[in-house]
Amino acid sequence: MIACSMKHHGRIDPGLSRVDVIRLTPQELDVPVICMACDIAPCIKVCPMNARIRQANGTVVTDADVCIGCRACVYICPVGSPKINPHTGKTMTCDMCQGETEPWCVAACRQEGALKMCTDGAISKNSARQAADRSRKTYPRK
Amino acid sequence: MKLVIIGNGIAGNQVAFDVRKKDKNAEIVILSAENVPEYDPCSLPYYLGGECRHADVFRRKPGDYAASSIDLVYDSQVLSIDPESKTVTTRTGENISYDTLVLAHGGDLFIPPIPGIDNQGVFSCKQLAETEKLAAHNGRSAVVIGSGAIGIEAAEALKRKGYAVYVIELMDWILPSLFDEATAGRLETELTGYGIHVFTKEKVIKIKGAGTVTAVVTNLRTIDCDTVVVATGVVPGTALARTAGIDTGRGIQVNRQLQTSVPDIYACGDCVETIDACTGETAMFQLKHNAIEQAQVVARNITGEPARYLGAYAFARAHFFSTHAATFGKTQRATDCILGDKRIIEREDGKNYLRVVLLNNQIVGGQAIGTFADGLGLLIGAMWRKDDIMEIAAKMRKTPKGGAVHSWPMLRLGNLLGF
Ligand SMILES: Cc1cc2nc3c(=O)[nH]c(=O)nc-3n(C[C@H](O)[C@H](O)[C@H](O)COP(=O)(O)OP(=O)(O)OC[C@H]3O[C@@H](n4cnc5c(N)ncnc54)[C@H](O)[C@@H]3O)c2cc1C
Ligand code: SF4
Repeated sequence: MIACSMKHHGRIDPGLSRVDVIRLTPQELDVPVICMACDIAPCIKVCPMNARIRQANGTVVTDADVCIGCRACVYICPVGSPKINPHTGKTMTCDMCQGETEPWCVAACRQEGALKMCTDGAISKNSARQAADRSRKTYPRK
Repeated sequence: MKLVIIGNGIAGNQVAFDVRKKDKNAEIVILSAENVPEYDPCSLPYYLGGECRHADVFRRKPGDYAASSIDLVYDSQVLSIDPESKTVTTRTGENISYDTLVLAHGGDLFIPPIPGIDNQGVFSCKQLAETEKLAAHNGRSAVVIGSGAIGIEAAEALKRKGYAVYVIELMDWILPSLFDEATAGRLETELTGYGIHVFTKEKVIKIKGAGTVTAVVTNLRTIDCDTVVVATGVVPGTALARTAGIDTGRGIQVNRQLQTSVPDIYACGDCVETIDACTGETAMFQLKHNAIEQAQVVARNITGEPARYLGAYAFARAHFFSTHAATFGKTQRATDCILGDKRIIEREDGKNYLRVVLLNNQIVGGQAIGTFADGLGLLIGAMWRKDDIMEIAAKMRKTPKGGAVHSWPMLRLGNLLGF
């Protein structure tokens, strides 16, 4: 979040980060929330100002020049990912640091290695399923 | 193929440009009753209130049509359709032939039969030209008739312009079809807090003025004003189709391919009657996202790719000044006539409020104000999946601290619902 706010706003301020980590207090759990750049993105369709724009790299970002901060994109988002810029009231979402060789958050996390940049097809359905299976074994549903 | 589209709105443009992407040779004509390229009606209140520029309401530039070889004909309101000879006739008297016709002429503003409604100073904000007139009008005191989403947005815009604003609503509470009383009551308090006067359960009896508006008379009071905004709802435009022998109900009737009862004629957008994607019931939501999705299905079917429309969904936001609220699915009132086990989950935290409507332990609708609304998408997802809420509550009690990746969405949902 620090890297994200540095990249997009030139200062250290987690409130300005486009990737979010929310705290679920009862579960003592921190959950990352990030724009998934849906193929059929509902935010594009519900925005009254047509401010949600698909970029060349596939990400969907807010054009802050026309956004009126109505938050329709936040409410329709299946994960509630658009963040409100506390200074302008307008929304912002991850643009994968378009134009950079890799997103700043990935670079910042190189040491820990928790974030990785995957290219299209790098995660096969199988490996995703295996990871989910491992996760289910650790925390069974019932 | 010659494709003729009636209406230069959201749906009509989506069809035209989608068809062009797949078919380079089709002849595409859009007949427009107006004289501007596509604009977004949803942006109009923000242009009125000075929150965006005039240029920002447009979704396309005049040059976009020529660049895609789409013939956009201005001032060509269609007056009749002849399915036998496959021609349409415009206001200018021109007869235009088609191979495939798309009805995308949206809805009409419902004008209540109130004496004096044709006085000067009575406006609407459904179309750009009308909204421009209202924006150029120099009034000081405005009465907004109707408190649907458009009425509330217009009221905010006029307040921003410095007007004294009065909203009159016939029903029991504001935004009556979108919110239940408990939510609407809170929103009304917020509106009042911004200095907008709200009168519910009141009926406008007449608009006073000899040529120019001077006051609005309701069954309870007389409000002096120089401006009236009619925001009493949008009714689907069915007359054109009905007179051409196309089946209509509350809107133009279509099958799942969005074909009307005449096979070469499709319909999409605010003028059609469709089904609710979640419940399968007849639906008339008249919202932009539905217009776009319907138009995409029409374009695919026209270009030979079979596509089935899955249905429309209700989702609307209510946003004015620093109040943020949203609603989806059914209100509690809308479930009144359904049998089943009905429950409401409510949460309140200062000005933030959440209200979730359950039917047989499944979410069928919800409304939220403030921070609770930020997670509304999670509830919408649970509605689509038909999640059993009692099961989620039980799982929440058993979930160990920490929790695996696959359970994150459920944990967020459970936390939002207060389990
Ligand atoms: C002020 C306002 C705010 C709104 N806000 C929201 C919102 O926040 N969210 C949301 O989801 N929806 C909103 N809506 C609704 C949304 O704008 C509509 O659902 C959407 O525009 C429907 O698209 P459409 O193409 O069916 O109709 P329209 O966009 O209305 O287009 C119909 C076009 O057909 C033309 N036409 C009509 N009759 C004829 C004829 N006989 N011949 C030729 N042309 C004709 C009209 O001039 C018009 O250009 C709002 C609407 C208004 C008015
Ligand atoms: S907050 Fe901005 S980007 Fe999001 S829907 Fe509203 S106007 Fe569009």
